[in-house]
Parts: sequence; structure tokens; C-alpha cells
Amino acid sequence: MTRKPVSRTGLTRRHAGGMMFAAGLAPAILSTSVRAAINRGDTLTVGIWGGAQERITREHCAKPLEEKYGVKINYVLGGTPDRRSRAYAERGRPSFDIIYLNIFESRQAVADKVTQPPTAAVPNFANLYDVARIGGYGVAFNPVTVVYDKEVITTPMTSWKDFWRPDLKGKIAWPSYPGAQGTAALLMTARAFGGSEKDVDVAFRKIAELKPFAAIQSSQDQLYGMFDQKVAAASIEFGSFTRNYAETRNPRIVIANPVEGQAIAANFACITVGTKNQALAEAWIDLHLSPACQKAYAEQIYYSPTIRNANLPAGLNAKLIIGDAQVKTLVDFDWDHVIKMQPQWTQRFVREIAGA
Amino acid sequence: MVASAAPAGGAARSGARESVAWSAGEGRPGLFLAPIVLWLAGGFALPLAVVALLSFQPAGAPFAPITAELTAEHFQALLTDAYYVRIIVNTVLLGLGVTTACIVLGYPVAAWLASVPARWKSLAIALVLVPLLTNVVVRSLGVMMLLAPGGIFASALRGLGFGQVQLLFGWFAVGLALTQVFLPFMIMALYDGLQGQDRRLVEAAEGLGAGRARTFFGVTLPLSLPSLRGGIVVVFLLASSAYVSATLLGGKKIWVSGMLVMQEAMALLNYPFAAALAMIMLACSILATAMVNLVVARLTPWVAQRATTDLGGTRWPWLARSGWAAADALAPWVYRLLLALGLGLLLLPMGLVVVASVNDVPQATVASFHGFTWRWYRAVLDNQRYIGAFQVSLQLAFATISIALLLTVPAAFALARHKLGRRELIAALLMLPLALPGIAKAVGMLKLLQWYIEIPAFFGLLAIHVVMVSPFMLAMLRASVAALDRGLEEAAQGLGAGRLATLVQVILPQLAPGLVAASIIGFLISFGEVTVTAFLVTAQTQTLPVRIYAEASFSLENTINAVSTLIIVATVALLALLGRLVRLDHAWRR
Repeated sequence: MTRKPVSRTGLTRRHAGGMMFAAGLAPAILSTSVRAAINRGDTLTVGIWGGAQERITREHCAKPLEEKYGVKINYVLGGTPDRRSRAYAERGRPSFDIIYLNIFESRQAVADKVTQPPTAAVPNFANLYDVARIGGYGVAFNPVTVVYDKEVITTPMTSWKDFWRPDLKGKIAWPSYPGAQGTAALLMTARAFGGSEKDVDVAFRKIAELKPFAAIQSSQDQLYGMFDQKVAAASIEFGSFTRNYAETRNPRIVIANPVEGQAIAANFACITVGTKNQALAEAWIDLHLSPACQKAYAEQIYYSPTIRNANLPAGLNAKLIIGDAQVKTLVDFDWDHVIKMQPQWTQRFVREIAGA
Repeated sequence: MVASAAPAGGAARSGARESVAWSAGEGRPGLFLAPIVLWLAGGFALPLAVVALLSFQPAGAPFAPITAELTAEHFQALLTDAYYVRIIVNTVLLGLGVTTACIVLGYPVAAWLASVPARWKSLAIALVLVPLLTNVVVRSLGVMMLLAPGGIFASALRGLGFGQVQLLFGWFAVGLALTQVFLPFMIMALYDGLQGQDRRLVEAAEGLGAGRARTFFGVTLPLSLPSLRGGIVVVFLLASSAYVSATLLGGKKIWVSGMLVMQEAMALLNYPFAAALAMIMLACSILATAMVNLVVARLTPWVAQRATTDLGGTRWPWLARSGWAAADALAPWVYRLLLALGLGLLLLPMGLVVVASVNDVPQATVASFHGFTWRWYRAVLDNQRYIGAFQVSLQLAFATISIALLLTVPAAFALARHKLGRRELIAALLMLPLALPGIAKAVGMLKLLQWYIEIPAFFGLLAIHVVMVSPFMLAMLRASVAALDRGLEEAAQGLGAGRLATLVQVILPQLAPGLVAASIIGFLISFGEVTVTAFLVTAQTQTLPVRIYAEASFSLENTINAVSTLIIVATVALLALLGRLVRLDHAWRR
């Protein structure tokens, strides 16, 4: 439970909101004095994905903060749709201080006044690539691509269109929509068959042709379980995690590099509007953007850094996206349009793709 | 509590008079019923009213205000669009299928429970109660392991020559999981009826030459129809509004109404549409209950003292004498097979969870055993997330039963002791929260909490939990109050004891086992609840089962099995405690 910090005793939410507004207007030097300090015993609630994400941030963000300030970190693990919907349901009284969202959801959350836009109050903000400064603090690039089991799918997959090959029928675990993988799958299908994010009808039609699916997968952990148990043999997933999975658990799995390219995806850390732990949240994100944390991500799960001053071992470069030029090779979309269409596409996905 | 402080000395006489009036049921029953009625108004009727209002609101932005321009567009969309109609129909069919499976498997298990010798009875009942009171996520995980490729089921089918069969992520998996989850409700309902049946009727049938099959269809089944009705209604209502098992075992390929409500309300923030679907589910529930009541009333004319027909003879003329003879010969084998299947389905998934919790693999649903380890337990006990969620669950469950006791004890006295004109109607109204899908309450409460952000979110959760456990606790306490020895109270009053003294020294000591039993059942229901709770938790008030559900639907690490095993062990321990206080077969009454 969050404890009321001494420095803010007597402040109502309205006062705090007013102060935050004033802090936004004031020069940086003034704003730091207005911002609430980090108090011993404070609890920071962070909504993030489980597994490696939790382990790395616990080591590089949670532990240093706990040791330095005597604060507690409350992790709430799960998928993006779950924490996004809770943050929306709780607008005005957030129970999360930080939520991690995908590239498109983060921008909409700022527009809906659920999360805050990024600011230079986080020192490492200065080192972020431009695309990682919209809708929150971009903490990782992790493009989405085609992945498959080479023992079952013996002819290599080199195009997004390969899912429609007869030898893949009934072997595909299609990613659930909405979600980064499901979004990339939908939009790349549209693009591969002559459509675009403004014209997704062709994508829905083509994906429906692939039914029946071996499964619909909702997360990489689920997919890897399906690969382990040979429930499915091909899917669309983050190349980063899958490379780690292939190297450590399942050497049968191939991370393809389709001719149409890989779809951009990025994780964003977003501070909720109305958080009572502003300074602590900013300190957390600053640590997440530190070269040490970004290096750990790159080494452990092949996440590409979002800061220009990352210091990575040379051997990693071939497996990552480094620098503005490489980031530009990723297939990008009009995310404002994508998020606007999300409710409608979700209903269509359930209706035309996932549902029986 | 039921009595305020009363003078014990000089005013003892007037105190005694009041006490007699109170305990004889001539006091003010309205006052005793007021707390529970008020709570149900706030925690049940109000959210339902909100859902009804929302369902007629136009579609709009997530934060759109309520308007006076009502529309039926969502109902129209839901009832005219073949896609939605199919989901609703599929959900109802799934509910019917699960109910049928529960009847077929429930009878043998209930009959076996009724026939178990008295000294083994508590243990046998515990075999059913442990799964019943263990939360749905844990049990769904067990069913996942049962059906996993390389698991017992798939291996057996391979052994029979069916090859590699994909059992997970389909209707069969969801149906089996729901049967596992709701079978105990059917068993306990049927057990209630079978236990109370007059053995002499069975003996008479046997004496007249009826074999086991004929006796079952001609005597046991018709006489147990009123109990079966209760089981059917509960199982159908729960199965047709469930979404947790369908989400975990359907692999997003299976869509049921509950999942759609969850998606529309939580992921798409389309509350009016979710509310309209919840209202349709509500209507289906009421319709189904009415139909079941009608059919059972027709099949049990003797209950209304109308002429009876011979169910075993004329209803099935095609079963000629030789047919009955064959059925009688097969009956013992069918009984044993179904009993084994029923008990296996109840216990096997939980056993698999326990075994998997010490399996040395990081993934939670690996069916084969790779080596023994305690490391998942160490990981759980070092994990602040689980410990924090456990504390929230404990706080919520304790707060829930504390409030529920304050509401249900006076109500139990009012129902058990007052000569209320429409006592059964009032009792039925107080049980109503059981008969309507929790998902509608959840959507209504979620919206209420958004409108009134001054109300702490925990309070909304607490209000709903009290509503959910109160009917169970009330039913148990009503029986306990009815069983109190009135003679002792009269003796105490005769000796000059006041109201408070009679309450503290005579009534409460007698009632204590009943209070503790009701509290344990209420605690376990509150602690394990997921379906409604998942809508209402915040990051700070995540309960343990909801946290396991959220993590299980995203990532399946083996720590989930370890924490689930701890929950199973705690449930067994609490039931053992309960068994020392009251006879377990008396503890769980509808």
C-alpha cells in the first residue's frame, strides 16, 4: 500500500495536479524543487511483462532504488491490454505509477490523459532517439518477424506470404489482436498483399483463409510452450525473445528475415497522470534508460537500445538494430490511425479470425 | 450483533421479557433483516441497476457521460448479428453440455458419498469439497496438464491407436475444465437429496424384483429430481457465465459470452455494449431457471400432491424386460466406471498441479517429469508479488466474513425464528445473488467506482465479496440457528439472565461451531474468487488468485504450480479444521 509521504502531507489531489501543471510551466530548476521528493517507505507500482523483463528491471532499476532510498517496488505482471485497460478504468486515481505499453498504445494514452508525455526531468531523456520520445519513454526496440520450426517446416520461410503455403496449413499459431505481435501480423499481411493500415480488408480476408489455426497465441511464453510441445510450428513473434529462446531452449526455431522487412515494435515506459510517486517514477525510468540496463537487455534478450550512448559488445551488433539508419529499415505505420481503429479491428479479429 | 447491551441486574425482568419476545420470534424481524437487505441494495441491486442503465446508453468514448437519450442499439446488434447470436448460443450449449456431464458424473459420486460408512464420511466429503473450494485458475491449470501433449489423456489415446490428438485449445478442453470446476456443486446438491431418501423405498423396489438400473430410474432418480433441479440451475448458471477456464483452455479460439463481456468492458472500454451483453446473459439465466423449475415440477407431480406416473415403466416402453435385464447387469460396471471418471476428474488435475510444482522444468504445463526440486517454492516464498497478493487476499477474505457475519447472523435468526408470512420468499430473495451471473454485478460496480472516485476501490471489491458469500453463510447459519436448543435459553431466562447474558453465555457458545463453519466456507469462497474480482482489482489490491490468473494468461512459469499447491494445502488444512468443528457433510448445504 502507498504511504502518504511527509513532504506532501496536507496536499489534496487538486493541489498536486495544480503543482504538476505549474511544474510543467516552470523552468527545470524550479520544477525540481516543486516536485515531491522520494521518501523512505514509498511504494512504486510498475506494470510490466513477466519473465526476463521483470528479472532485468529488478536487477537494474528496483534494487538500486530500494538500496538508495529504502523504497518498495510493487510489480504487477501481465500482458499490455490488461494493464492498459486498468489504467483507463482508473483514470484520475491510478493504482499504477508506471505502465509499460506498446508504441501505439502509449501515444493514445497520452492523448487520453491517462499517461504523461515524456519530459527532460528524466536525465537520460536527452539520449533517446527521436522515435523513442513520443508517447512516453521508449525503452527498447524489438521488431516483430516470422518465426518457425525448421524440422516441421522444411522449406525456409522468406516472406510474410509464406504463411499461405500449403505445407503450413494447420501448423500456425497466429498472434492474438490487439497486442504488438497481432498488430504487426495484421499490418504486415495487409502490406504484403497490396493493402496498408488504411486498407486492412485484404489482411482480414487473407488471414481468415488460414483457418483452422493450430492455436491463437497471446504471448511469447505461450508460443514457446506450443513450440516445445509441437502444438504449432510457425508464428509471428518478437525476433529478440525468440532468438534467446532458440539459443537456449529450442535450436529447431528459426528467426526469419522476410523480404518485406520486419515490423517496428517498441516498448514504452509511461508515467500515469496523477501518480503520487512522480520523482520515484522518473528515477526508475532513468535507470531503465541507463547504458547498464540497456546492455543487460541487449545481452539477455536481444532488445535493441533506444539511447544513443549505449555501450555494447561488438559481437551483438549483428543481432540488433543500432543507430538511426537501421531503425529506419523497420517497417513503420501511421500509429494514430492504428490506435483509432483498434476497437473496430479487435471486434473484427474475434469475429473473423479467432472465433469459431 | 443481534442484541445491544441490556441491563442485567435491576432491570433483569424486563430484559428477560424482551429476550423471550426476541427469541420466540415476536420481535422486529425487519430490524434483523435490515442490515443484509441494505447491503444487498448497495452491493447487488445498485450495480445491476447501473448495468441496466448502461445497456441503453449510446456507444461513445470511454469517458462519455451518461445521457438521457436511451437506445436499444446494443441489444439490436447482439440479437440480430449472427456472429453474436452464435456466441450466445454456443455459450448456452456449452452450459447445457457441462450440466449434462455433471449430472452423468455427479450421480455416481453422490450415491457413493451417501453410501460411505459414517466414519469415512468426512474424508469422502473432503474429496469433493477440496476441489470445490480451490480456485478455478489452479484447477484449470491442472486440466491443462491433463490434456497437454504427452500428458495422461493424450498418452492414453495414443496407446489406443488414435495417434497424436490435439486436445488443448478447443471446446472439449473448455467443457472438460468447466465440468471439473462445477461438478462438486452438482455432487453436493445430489448428495443432499440422496442422503435424505428413504432406504425402504429402494428395498421395496428390489423386493419387487427390480434390478439396479430399474431401481435407479424408477425410484432414486425421480425422488432426487428436486435436488437435481438445484444442481442443474447452479451448474448451468455458473458454466454459462464463466470465462476464466475458457480463456486459459480455449486458446482464444473459443469465445463465450463471459469472455466477450470482459473484452468489451476491460480491453475496449465499451461499457454499454458489455452491459447489454451482461443483461442478455441475465435474461438467459432467469429463463433457464424458470424452464428447469417448470420441467422438474412436471416430472415431480407428487411434490404438489398431484397424481404420479411410473417413470420407470410406461415412460420407457421400448425398454422391454430383456432391456431392463441387460441394463441391470451393466449397471454396476457403468456405476464403477462413472464413479472412477468423476473422482478422477475431480482429483487428478489437482494432483498434477502438486506434482508439477516439484518438477524441475521452468514451464508450468510440461506433462513429463524431469526431476525433483524445491526451487519453485523458494522462488514463491522469496517473491514479494505473491506475498503481497496473499496479504491482500487475506485482508479481503477476513473483512468479507466479518461483515458477512454481522449481516447474516441477525438475518438467520429472523428467518429461523420469526413467523414471517412470506418467509421462503424472503429467503429466496436473499439468495438471489447466487442465481444471477456475477459478471453483471462486476461491470456495474466497475462503472460505479469510475463515477465515484472518492469511494476506495477496495470497498467496491469488499461490497461485492460480501454479496457473494452471504447467501452461503446465511444458508448454513439458518440451519445452525434452527438447531439451537430453545430449552436452554428458556432455562437461562427463567434463572433471571438478561438478553446480553443469554446471548453471550447460552446462544453464542451453542452457535460457535456453526459460526466458525460458515466463516471458513465464506473465507474460502472469498479467498478463491476470480471471475468477479478480476474486474475490480487495482494494482495495489491484486488478490492472489487474480494475480495467478493474470500471469497464467500471459506467462506460464512453474512458480504458478508451487503457489497453487500452497493454496491447495491451505484449503485441505482449513477443511480439516472445519471437520473437527462440524461434520463436513453438514457444513455444506445449499
